[in-house]
This record gives sequence, structure tokens and C-alpha cells, in this order.
Amino acid sequence: MDLAQLLNGLAYGALLMILSSGLAMIYGLRGVMNFAHGSLYMLGAYLAYEVTQRTSFWAALIIAPMILAAVGAALELGVFRRLQDRSHIEVGLVMFGVALILERVIVLIWGDDTLPVKAPSALDGTANVFGTDYPAYRLLIIGVAIVMAVSLVLWLRRSRTGLHIRAASHDTETSLILGINVDRVSLVVVALGAALAGLAGVLAAPYFSVQPGMGQTILIMVLIVVVAGGVGSIGGAMVAALGLGLIQTAGNVWIPSVAVLVPYVVAIAVLLWRPSGLAGKRVA
Amino acid sequence: MSTTAEQVPSEVPAADRSALLAPAPVQSGLDRRTVLRGLGIAVVILIVGLFVPDVISDETNMGIATDGVVLGILALSIGFLAHRSGLISLGHTAFYGASAYGLAIATTQWDWSPMQAIVFAVLGGTVLGLVIGAFVVRTPGVSFLVLTLAIGQALHQLVVQDSVRGTTGAYDGLAVTWGADDKVAGLGQSEIGNAASFWPLAWVSLVVVLVILWLVGRSRFGRVLEAIRENEERARFSGFNTYVPRLIAFTLSSAIASLAGALFALKASFVSPDTLSFVTAGDSLIAAIVGGFATLVGPLVGGVLYIYAQSELSDSGNLQLFTGIALVVAVVFLRGGVVGFVTDTGRKVRARVATTRKGAGR
Repeated sequence: MDLAQLLNGLAYGALLMILSSGLAMIYGLRGVMNFAHGSLYMLGAYLAYEVTQRTSFWAALIIAPMILAAVGAALELGVFRRLQDRSHIEVGLVMFGVALILERVIVLIWGDDTLPVKAPSALDGTANVFGTDYPAYRLLIIGVAIVMAVSLVLWLRRSRTGLHIRAASHDTETSLILGINVDRVSLVVVALGAALAGLAGVLAAPYFSVQPGMGQTILIMVLIVVVAGGVGSIGGAMVAALGLGLIQTAGNVWIPSVAVLVPYVVAIAVLLWRPSGLAGKRVA
Repeated sequence: MSTTAEQVPSEVPAADRSALLAPAPVQSGLDRRTVLRGLGIAVVILIVGLFVPDVISDETNMGIATDGVVLGILALSIGFLAHRSGLISLGHTAFYGASAYGLAIATTQWDWSPMQAIVFAVLGGTVLGLVIGAFVVRTPGVSFLVLTLAIGQALHQLVVQDSVRGTTGAYDGLAVTWGADDKVAGLGQSEIGNAASFWPLAWVSLVVVLVILWLVGRSRFGRVLEAIRENEERARFSGFNTYVPRLIAFTLSSAIASLAGALFALKASFVSPDTLSFVTAGDSLIAAIVGGFATLVGPLVGGVLYIYAQSELSDSGNLQLFTGIALVVAVVFLRGGVVGFVTDTGRKVRARVATTRKGAGR
């Protein structure tokens, strides 16, 4: 495996990391597996197409996550908060339904075709990484993911809101008794989780193709990452995402004939070995 | 001197000790009269159902009925597992698809007779279910869902590999063909695609599945399963083995899913990777939920509704939109699915009629 392949694995892992940290955060707080996360990512990518057409990719990088944050807030108010007395599996199934609806609505708006999104011209070429020419745009993905991961972990560990999030994820009832406004915390978390899904969608748009099946494909991978990393653990999800990206790439290089099976086999092995995931119950 | 040893009899008789460890007695919901009455009703339904092709003469509607029954059997298998043991599976396509492929490979490539192929396919799917179940039924809640999803998708990826194109046909799928003299339930290769002639096979399978599910649900075993679903730890403390019953339920469920897969392959005379796809896994689960898996026939109704919607909406491409809406509505508003909602409403109306009558009499 040479350096370029390693970086490819990192870039894919970086996308999974951005997505899965949002999913894990929502799961930690509401106990619900957000099956609509893949369609939020898809919406982010289609918004990236729309905004890039009108202005520029850099604008899309800001605007799409903001729109997705609003969608996330709507989901929190319309679904998670209203159904918080229901079983978590039921709410997860509602989100599965929301995903089906959202994906079809996206296709009704933008059509069935694969849409092109051009990387910004400044990053069109290649950059020299330790003597290897590598597409500069993919370095941007890795860079954004690193910045996101570091700031998210710092925010969770240092800020007051972060403290509240960790407390509420650990024990919602006790946090309520101690005066934490769990509804407000949840609004922040779901909006942020959706915004991160949108960010991943924008970053993925020039790298992969923007097409109707993109949400479902990535959802399966992200679910595997989050469960294998330890449901609700953001740190565990980040590590598992990078690991899966690298393992998948290694599979592509060494055993190309069955490489697509590798993530499933790894996930099944991890879950059978540790049913509660790699990180167990730690939040961040 | 320690007195505790003297107060507690140091030697409990062996018989008493085993009585302490034995699980609490569980009443079965089945006595001989209930069983006989249930079987009687089943026989009547079986016979009446065989005349369906005489009532529905329209070929399209007959096709919907037949395909609906086949999907209904798959939904029943998922609903049974969800209802009786609380395990929501997104991977029953593994057994459904494996069985369908098993049948296609056995008939087309090994030249087995279709009857042999059906037995092979259903047994194969069941054994696969037993092996997978042995690993996964311990996994709780959402992890079970993701694990089954991963297994189903792994199988899907395996089947579409170019390296197995010779066996599975990769993305092209496989045609099911068998010898000119071989027959299934009196049907040759050319007649089996006809919905009206295929109907008896589907209907008999369906009634057998319903009877089995009814008996299992009411039996002592069904009660134990529900106890485990409600509180696994408490069931274990009460002396029940909580692993084996769940494994049996999972295996039975995979056997029924395999039966649906074999029927599908026979009817379509064709097997494609779609039988293993995420969409099939999601839609069959949605059929079980929308129909209402807490009732015996709910998933079947869901399956028929889905096939009907598919035939109405396939041109516009909006099937996915409406399955999504149906799922949200069923979970949020119709708790217990369509069938649960109808029976609930029926009960409420009857209660209201009864009270108004009483009021009028006064």
C-alpha cells in the first residue's frame, strides 16, 4: 500500500468520521438510531450542487450545513421531542420512514441523474505530499475532518454546553433533576448532528458522484461504524470510522476480489467479540 | 460457635434443590378444545381460499394476490420474531435470498427436480438461520438490527461478485429452469408463472405458516419467549434458559423466510440480487409494521398492501415516498398497524353501541 492509497483510505474514513460523530451524538442523547442520517448527507450533497451552480463551492461549504442545521432542528421539534415517550426502536423506525420520504423528495426536486459538482479551482490540481502527487481536494476533506474532530472533542470536554451534553447522554433523568435543560441540549445536538451530515455531503459531492443511491450506501457504512465503535460514543465512532476507511482501502489493495465484503466481516467480528462496541459506554 | 450452619440445613435433599433451580411453571394457552377449534377454522379457511382464483378472474389482481401472499409470508417471519422476541431484523433477506438462490442453483445448474430443490432451499435457509442465529440473538436492541443488516448486505455483496458470476450470475441474476417432465404441485415450468395456477401452492403454504405461528404463539414456548422479551434478566433469574428459546424463534423465523424465498423463485422463475438488497429488507420490515405484527394476520395484510401499492405506483416512481409515509403514519398514529387499528376501532364502536343501547333502554 503506497502513500496515495493510504490517503484515499484516510479521506474516506474522514467522511465517515464526520457523519458518524453526528449520528453517535444523537444516539447518545436521544437513544435513537437516526436512520435518516444518510438522507441528510444526501441532501447536503444536492445542496452543494445547487449552491455551487449559483455562487461557489466555498459558499456551499457554509450554507448547506446551515440549512441542514435548520432541518435537524425541525426533526428534533417534530419527531424526537414529540415521540420521546415512545420506545427508541419505534422512533428509529419513524426516522427510517422520514429517510425514505426525504430521499424521494430530493429526487423529485433534482431528478434521477448523476450530478457533477466541481472541486474549487484552487484545489483542482495535485499537491506534493512527501514526494507523492496527491489530489489536493482530498487533502481538504482530511483537513476539515481533523479540524472538526479536534474542535468537537474540545467543545464537548471544555464548554458548559459540552458538559451538559455529556451529562445528559450519560443519564438523562439525573441531568434533568440537576437542572439541565435536556430539550435545549437535544436541540443543539440534533441540529449539530444534521449540520455535520450536511458538511460531509458537501465534502463528498466533488469526490463521489451526487446520485440518488448515495444516502443508502453511506448509511449502512455509518451504522456499522457507530455500532462497532460503541453506540453513543463519539470518540469510539471516530476511531472506528478511520479504521474502517483504512481497512476498506487495504482490502481494495490486497484482496480486491472480495474487498467490498471486508467492512461487513470486520463489523460482524467486532460486534460478536464486543456486543457493546469498541468503546463501551464512554461518551467522548 | 457459629450458629448459621446449624440453622440452615446443611444438606438440602437433591430433589428439593433441583426444584429450587427449576423454572416456574408456565401455563400453555392451548387446551385440546382450542387447538381443535383453531385447526377446524384453518381447514375451512384453507378450502375457501382455494376458490379465490374463481372469484378474482382478472389476471392483474390475481398476480397482486399471489405476490402479496409470498411477500406476506416473508413479512410474517419478520413480524413473528419482532412480536414474540422483540428482535427487529433488517437481515431476513439473507434467508429469503439464500433460499431463492439455492432453488435456482439446484434446479438450473445441478438439474435437481423442483421438489428436491424446494426442500434443499428451505433446509439450506433454515440451517443458515440456525448458524447466524447462534451468534446474533445475544446481541441487544439496535445492535441486533445493524448486525443483521450487515450480514444481509454481506451476502448481497458476495452474490454480485464477478468471481462467482458462473454460479450466481452476479448482477444479471439467474433464471430458474427445470426438466420438461418435472412438476411442482401439478405444475410444469410453463404453467407456474400463471398466478391463478400458482395460487394453491402459495395459499397452502400461507395457511400452514399461519397455523404454526398461531400454535407457537399460544404454546408454553411462546409464553416463555414473551417473558424473555419483557425482561431477559428477570427471566434468567427465574430459572429459564433465555438463549435457546430465542435461537429457536430465530431459526423458525428464518425457515419461514426461506419458504417465502423458494416460493418467490418458483413463481418468478428468476432470481436477482434484488432479493438480497437493502430495499427488500427495509420494505418487508415496513410491510410487517404497517400491517401490524402484534396480530396474527397483520404482516400478511401489510405484504398484500405493499404489492398493491407497488402495482399502482410503479409508473410514477413514488412507491418509496408512500412507503415512507405509511411507515411514519403506522408507527406514530396507528399503534398496532392497520390490522391493530381496525380491530381496536371495531372494539370501540361495539362498546359505544352497547352503552348507547343501555342508555336508550333506561
